[in-house]
This record gives sequence, structure tokens and C-alpha cells, in this order.
Amino acid sequence: MTLDAAERALLLALADDEHMVGARHTNWIGLGPFLEEDLAFCSIAQDELGHAIGLYEILLSDLPDSVELDKYAMLRDAADYRSCWLAEVDCSEWSDSLVRHWLYDRAEALRWGALTGCPDERVAALAIRALREEAFHLDHAERFMGRVAGADATGKIAASINRLMPLARGLWDVPAEGDPIASGFTSRPITELAAEWETLIAADLERWGADSTLPGSTVSTDQVHRTIRSEGFDAFHADLQRVILLDTSAIW
Amino acid sequence: MHTLADPPTMRGRSWADLDDFQAFIDGGGMVEPGDDMPTEYRDEVFRFIEFHANSELMGGLTERDWIPHAPGLRLKQIFLAKTQDEIGHAHLLYMVAADMGVKTRTEMLEQLFDGRSRFHNVFHYQAVTWADQVAIAFLVDAAAFASQRAVFAECTYGPYKRVLKRIVAEEGFHMRHGEEMLLRLATGTPTQHEMFQAALDRWWWPAVQLFGPDSPPGDADPLIRWKIKSQRNEDLRQAYVQKYVPLLHGYGFEIPDPELRQDAEGVWRAGTIDWEPLKATMRQGGPDSKRRIATAAANWADTAWVREALEVSA
Repeated sequence: MTLDAAERALLLALADDEHMVGARHTNWIGLGPFLEEDLAFCSIAQDELGHAIGLYEILLSDLPDSVELDKYAMLRDAADYRSCWLAEVDCSEWSDSLVRHWLYDRAEALRWGALTGCPDERVAALAIRALREEAFHLDHAERFMGRVAGADATGKIAASINRLMPLARGLWDVPAEGDPIASGFTSRPITELAAEWETLIAADLERWGADSTLPGSTVSTDQVHRTIRSEGFDAFHADLQRVILLDTSAIW
Repeated sequence: MHTLADPPTMRGRSWADLDDFQAFIDGGGMVEPGDDMPTEYRDEVFRFIEFHANSELMGGLTERDWIPHAPGLRLKQIFLAKTQDEIGHAHLLYMVAADMGVKTRTEMLEQLFDGRSRFHNVFHYQAVTWADQVAIAFLVDAAAFASQRAVFAECTYGPYKRVLKRIVAEEGFHMRHGEEMLLRLATGTPTQHEMFQAALDRWWWPAVQLFGPDSPPGDADPLIRWKIKSQRNEDLRQAYVQKYVPLLHGYGFEIPDPELRQDAEGVWRAGTIDWEPLKATMRQGGPDSKRRIATAAANWADTAWVREALEVSA
């Protein structure tokens, strides 16, 4: 099976998103707002990294030359990543991380859902597995947001939504290689998923009685088909590479 | 439904005096939270479990620093899972301790963050490189496993023994994981070998000291008398030295103990332990534990609004 350019681009975008979100979630281990949440967030991070591994494996198995997964995942030039800014950005405020978790997992459920019928059996099998795990992630995000979004007297949740929502829309930026809908690789076009996501996000906020007005879609995200990295990416990337670069010939 | 503090049987017992209680313990009795246990036993066991809970949490905080830099995605998952286990152990142990009615979980956490609670000495130190992360997994987890298994062996406080069954099982996995990680560095490139030797130089003595000073003579230690601990500190330490010295030598590493020797019976004997650096560390707040605790305390304060919002919406 040889993936075409649009199919590869779609999988790479999803793989890099899962990698970056998983890596960012990792930073909360030991520092969550309470111990049970530490454990939950850590499990989600492990799942997201697992999805990234599964996708990278498919992408690498499709290359003519053998490339080690960790080197591909961690040692590409910044310009060669296709992660979206929502997945990349530093969310060191818990409200930012929680809002990202909700926005991202709402989108993930749709993105993986569109791949469960993929003619590439490897992709379909991974999507079915990932979707089962994502159901738990989304349930966690919805329950947590449902309890704090309306009860947050500090306004932090509303501020985080206002900060992250414009970035989050870049998640739906169609890769320059195009949307592989015509070949049937995905079952729904990216633009349709994006529209449903907007509807679901607005419905969530209304249900929770959250004091937040969604920023208008006129806000520029300027992610240029995911080819531009977000502010702070270089430092984040350097952090990911800190050990592996000590000796690239080593098996760690 | 039964909670950890609500076992199905043997509730509400009392004892005439400490001798009567000791006879119960010596006869293989198990104390449950609903029992009218002697205050001395409750206080001593609570202190021990709180210390254990704090140590698990501080262990997690020690290991978390290098996870973002893990040199591989699967390694990141593995170290996350391991650190998650440590946090999970703290979670279970704080629940067991809180059920004893001495302090709430929040009080225990806030006293740890205020620097008013104690934890294992080994978590005062800094993990300088990725190899320190491996040294912790190989040396410290093995020491913790030996120490906790010795508590689990007899442990007369029911809820503690029940959670220790799970903790010891998971620590066993951690120990095997540490061995695999060590093997990679030991049989890897010269850079990796040198990194681990440097980490071993930093972590050998803290790991050996994890067992604590020699136990008081006879049954003067109430934790031994009441069968919370089943082995003396010095016996556990000696068994550890006997096992780990040949392992490390076998991988070509040098133990940073110039007095280390093998006696006529082939038993490895560590040099005299200098406790003064450890005491100084504890007096001064540790080379790195102050930073870790400050980070955790700042996050605890920054996320107070989450706990408050959850209470409002409960």
C-alpha cells in the first residue's frame, strides 16, 4: 500500500498533533489540581502518545527507506512538522490545558471517526482503537468542563477559551496537499468536520452556562496549511530532543 | 460496598492495655480502622504511612523532571506510566492515612508543601541527567521495593497491608524496568556508560541510606514490636548491598565506596556510612527538594480555583 501525498499529509498532521498534545499533557504529571486528576491526565497523555506511535509506524512503513520512529518523531526540522498550534502551544495554566483538552478531544473524535472506514486497513484499525480511547478522553473533558466552566468565579476558563479558540481553528487548516476525501480515504471532508466541531463547541458552552463568547472566525490563525510553527515551538522541540541528541547512535 | 477503611469483618474491638494489644499482635492479629487501637499504635502507624505517602509523591516529583526529555516516545510512555504509579501509590496511601482520623489528605499535602512533613531522604537529591532517571529506576526503586516488601510481609494494619499488596506488585515491575534501562546504558555507547557511572556516583549512597540508620536494639523500635516492619534496617541494607554490588560490577561500573570489600565468606560489606551529609541535606532542605516542593506548592495554590469550582458544582 502506498499512501498518496494528501493521505500522508493528513496522517502526518494527526500524528504530529497527537505527539505534541501527548508531550504537552505530560507536563502535568505530579502537578494537577488534585491527585485523581494527575492520574487521569497522565493516562490521556499516554494514550495520545500511543496514537502518535501508531500513526508514525504507518507512515514509516510506507517509506522506501528504513527510518527509526523516534528519530522521525523527534529529530525532524521544525518546518517539517505538521502539528497545529493548539497542540503545540505551552499551556502552563491549568485552565488552558483543560480547555485545550476539551477543544482538541472534541476535534479528535471527529477526525478519528472519519477514518474508521478508511480503505487502508491499518489506518481503519488504528482509528477504531483510538476512537474507543478518545471516548474516555472526551467524557473526561466534558464532565470536567461541565463542572467548572459555569462555576469558575475567577473567569479563567472564559479567558482560556478566548485565548485558545482562535488557535484551535487552525486545527482544521487543510494541508497543502489537499483533503483526501475524493479517494475515499476519509469519509467526511475537513471543512464539514470543522463546521460540526464549531456547532458542538457552542452547544457545550451553552449547556454548561459558561460565561464565554466564542471569538469570531475572522481572527487570523496564519498557520499556512500547518507549515508555520507556533511561538515557543523551538524551545519545546529542543526540550524533546535534549537527551536523544546526546548520542544519536545510541539505543536509549 | 466497602471502602478501604470499611472492611467487612472484625470491627470495633478494644484492648485492656498495651500488653493485651501486644498479645493480639503477637498472636497474628490484624488491626482495622474501626478498632479502638491504642493511641501510641495509631500515631506511630499514621506517621509511618504519611511518610510513605509523602515519599511516593516526592518520588513522582523527582522523576517528572526528565519525562519531557525522554529520548523516545515509548520511553516517554513508560516513564509516564511509572511516575503515574508512584502518584497512584501516594493517592492510595493518603486515603489510608486520612482514614485513621489524624489529618485529612489536604492537611497532609499542605504540610508537605509547607515544608513541615518528612519523606525519604533520597528524594532530596537532584536528577542531573537522564542517567539519573535510570539510576533512580534501578537503584532507588529496588531499595524501595525491598523495604516495602518487608513491611508487607507482616504489616498488622489491615488497610495498609491491602494497598501494599498492589504497591509492592507495581514496584516489582519498576525494578525490572530499572534493570532493563540500566542494561541499555551499560551495554550502550561510551557516552551512555559514562553517564550512568556519573549517576551511580551520585545515587549509590542515597540509595543505601534509604534503608535508614540501624534499627534500635531488640524490639525497642515500636514499628518492629507492632509488626509493621518485619526486618531491621541494617539487614535490609546488607541484603541490598549483597545483591547490587556484584550486579553493578558485572556491568563494568565502579561503586563509589573506597572501603567496600568482600569478606572471607564472599559477603560484600559496605564502608562506614557517613550520615552527616544526609543530616545536613535534611537540615538545609535538600539540594533539589526545595525547588520541587516550591513548584508543587505553587501549582497547588494556582489550581485552588479548580477545587473550589468543583465544590460549588458538586
